Amino acid sequence: MSVILKTDKLRVEYRSRELGQAVKVALNGLDLEVSTGEVFGFLGPNGAGKTTTINCLLGFVQPTSGAASLFGIDVRQPIARQRIGYLPEMTYYYKFLTGEELLRFYASIFALTGAEADKRIDQTLKLVELDAARKRLIKTYSKGMQQRVGLAQALINNPDLLILDEPTSGLDPLGRMKVRDIIQRLKNEGKTVFFSSHELGEVETVCDRVAIIAEGSLKAAGRVQEIMRGHPTLEKAFLNIIGYQADKN
Amino acid sequence: MRNVLAIAKVVLLEMYRRKEFYVLFILTIVICLIMGSINIFNDNQIIRYLKDLCLLLIWVSSLIIAITMTARQIPAEREQRTLLPLLAKPLSRNQLIFGKFLGCWIVCGLALICFYAFFGALAASREHQWPLLHYLQAAFLHWMVLGVVVAMSLLGSLVFAAPSSNSTIIFAICAAIMCVGRYLDQIAAPMHEPARSIVYFIYYAIPHLEIPFGMRNLIVHDWPIIGWNFVFLDALYLLAYLVFFLIAAGLIFRRRAIN
Amino acid sequence: MTSGKTLWLWLLAFFLLCFNLATVLQPRFQAIEKTNRQSNNFFVLLLGDSSRIFANDFFIKADVYYHSGYYPTIFDNKSAFETPHIAEDTGAVASHNHGEETDFMGPPRDWLDAFGRHFIPNRHTHLDEGGPTDDLSKSSQVREILPWLDLSSKLDPENVKTYLVMAYWLRNKLNQVSAAEQVLHEGLRYNQGNPQLLFELGRIYEEDYHEPDRARSIWEAALRMWGQEQPGVPLSERLKPSNENFDDWFIFDQLQQHLAHLEKEAGNYDAAIAHLRQAQRVSSKPEDLQKQIDELEKEASRH
Repeated sequence: MSVILKTDKLRVEYRSRELGQAVKVALNGLDLEVSTGEVFGFLGPNGAGKTTTINCLLGFVQPTSGAASLFGIDVRQPIARQRIGYLPEMTYYYKFLTGEELLRFYASIFALTGAEADKRIDQTLKLVELDAARKRLIKTYSKGMQQRVGLAQALINNPDLLILDEPTSGLDPLGRMKVRDIIQRLKNEGKTVFFSSHELGEVETVCDRVAIIAEGSLKAAGRVQEIMRGHPTLEKAFLNIIGYQADKN
Repeated sequence: MRNVLAIAKVVLLEMYRRKEFYVLFILTIVICLIMGSINIFNDNQIIRYLKDLCLLLIWVSSLIIAITMTARQIPAEREQRTLLPLLAKPLSRNQLIFGKFLGCWIVCGLALICFYAFFGALAASREHQWPLLHYLQAAFLHWMVLGVVVAMSLLGSLVFAAPSSNSTIIFAICAAIMCVGRYLDQIAAPMHEPARSIVYFIYYAIPHLEIPFGMRNLIVHDWPIIGWNFVFLDALYLLAYLVFFLIAAGLIFRRRAIN
Repeated sequence: MTSGKTLWLWLLAFFLLCFNLATVLQPRFQAIEKTNRQSNNFFVLLLGDSSRIFANDFFIKADVYYHSGYYPTIFDNKSAFETPHIAEDTGAVASHNHGEETDFMGPPRDWLDAFGRHFIPNRHTHLDEGGPTDDLSKSSQVREILPWLDLSSKLDPENVKTYLVMAYWLRNKLNQVSAAEQVLHEGLRYNQGNPQLLFELGRIYEEDYHEPDRARSIWEAALRMWGQEQPGVPLSERLKPSNENFDDWFIFDQLQQHLAHLEKEAGNYDAAIAHLRQAQRVSSKPEDLQKQIDELEKEASRH
């Protein structure tokens, strides 16, 4: 198995715009490696640096120091994103487009045109169960449908690596189950999935390996069973690793 | 280029499905028709006041369309977080900027075709002639001006947080250039230093959008056509500013954190 | 939670309140705006006194159109355009123009200015001479100044000059005599008994309709009205020819000379001589008028 996602001593600092405010360290020397075919859960409390890590991996934020690569290509090169799919947390898509038009637009960025694009659009819309609503404007979609069209755009290029930021956030139980099913199906197809989540139960069921970060630093990484060793649930293990002690509160 | 065109196409679709252009176009038609229906001494050949009004409305409407449409492009993408999945694709930020620019500029061009076609029909209804080359010169330079305005607005949208403040500032700058841009050197002459040097610098630094704007009078008053060499020289001059603003926008956006 | 019925009741209550307020306030506003109410002009009612500023702008705009857009801005040398040429050409207003009409911009200041001049009207032309195309068959293009004059007169209906200029161009260059007459009547509606308007109206009756009796009665009325104007000012002061009171003495001169002509045509030589003697008081060439008087006296003695 080859490493397709890697961060090397990744450090991100945010300078405050207010005078007298100190520099905020969002990531502090993060080292991560994700291999082909893995479903990798990226866990951490709010403000731990999960989204910043993903933003670095996608080139949205420039690291202060360190490096990140996808498929061995520096993330600053747009070509590094050719074989990935990305679903951001809580994103709204162009409301003036239909679901099909949105996918066609993203497909064209991946140089998918004509029959090839049509085929991929059909496949992804069926996968996310939006085939019936493909001609409707996105502004008429429910929240769950919007999340699924988001997943469809992430899959339009048949990516080898899927980066999902809180994919089930804000969804009802049925919506969560559908997203979980899709991740499972992708796993079965041999795709690599890297996703951040608060839903530890979900992580426990679908992930091969997990990494836990807190305050910008990696606290633990390994197979789910290894992380859970000595703890009855992943939640207990997680709380223990991030240093949370219930009796203090 | 494929990516640029894909972005431009989405901008086109957005404008096609939004109401601004239709509202402004219909408003222009309605105002012109109302003014045209006024009886002035039973002389139905009087046309220049109508051409003047129509061209002014076209300029104002096109500036509103260009500025408001462009000013919201990047901020709306950020606010609605559509920028994230977009930039997660193999698309460079320069391609995004250029695609947005191209889309907005094409929309302006299409809007101008509609506006000038109406203008031509209005003028022909009373003058019974189609000075197409005149209209072509005017519309072409008008489009070049809008190109500069679109590039300026795009740059402004990266500097100013809110589209409303960006639109207001760009509109004020355009209006100021069109009204007094040509006379800034005369305004500077009696000033004391350093104000004098500053105003002189502004005079030479700003894009002189008032040059094509002044062509309105040539069209309204049936002056002979201008030499095409002057038209192309002016287009080249405006193109230089357009590229300058686009490069500046690209440089600002290049290292801007998206989150 | 407020029910729908309650909301409707509130809406009705507010409507009644607004209606009652309107009935109370309306008479008060009418009293305040009594002066404005005297005009039934929509623009004047809407804009109040500020309409005069726009009226002047539109009057200038008519002159800009007369020059096909070739016109100085506030940054150029305007000395040759102090009095709009459309007014100057009527001969009814005093001219304050001096200097070069054709080169108010001066030589190009720099390359930008030189380049920009290719994109603006750059020759002094007049619409009644064919405009920028120099095609004299199109000289009727002077009609293009009319919308602005019309608008100017509506915005400032008390400005007599606008009606005079409009009537001049309609009658003399566009051959629209009845429209010119209508304009003058409109002017008289807002400026009752104005001697200048009456004089122009009389000219239409005499020169176009060939009704000398009607023209005479109008001009005599104009003279009477002229006498009633400026009650405190001595006649000698009013008849002192100068640029400042041009309108005053010039119209007196014109009325007297035109009435003299009418009386002469009607064979009333004594009356004609009397009018010419009055005209001599303001004329810059009294000796020419004296010659006419001498000829009339000869004619009178022959009869």
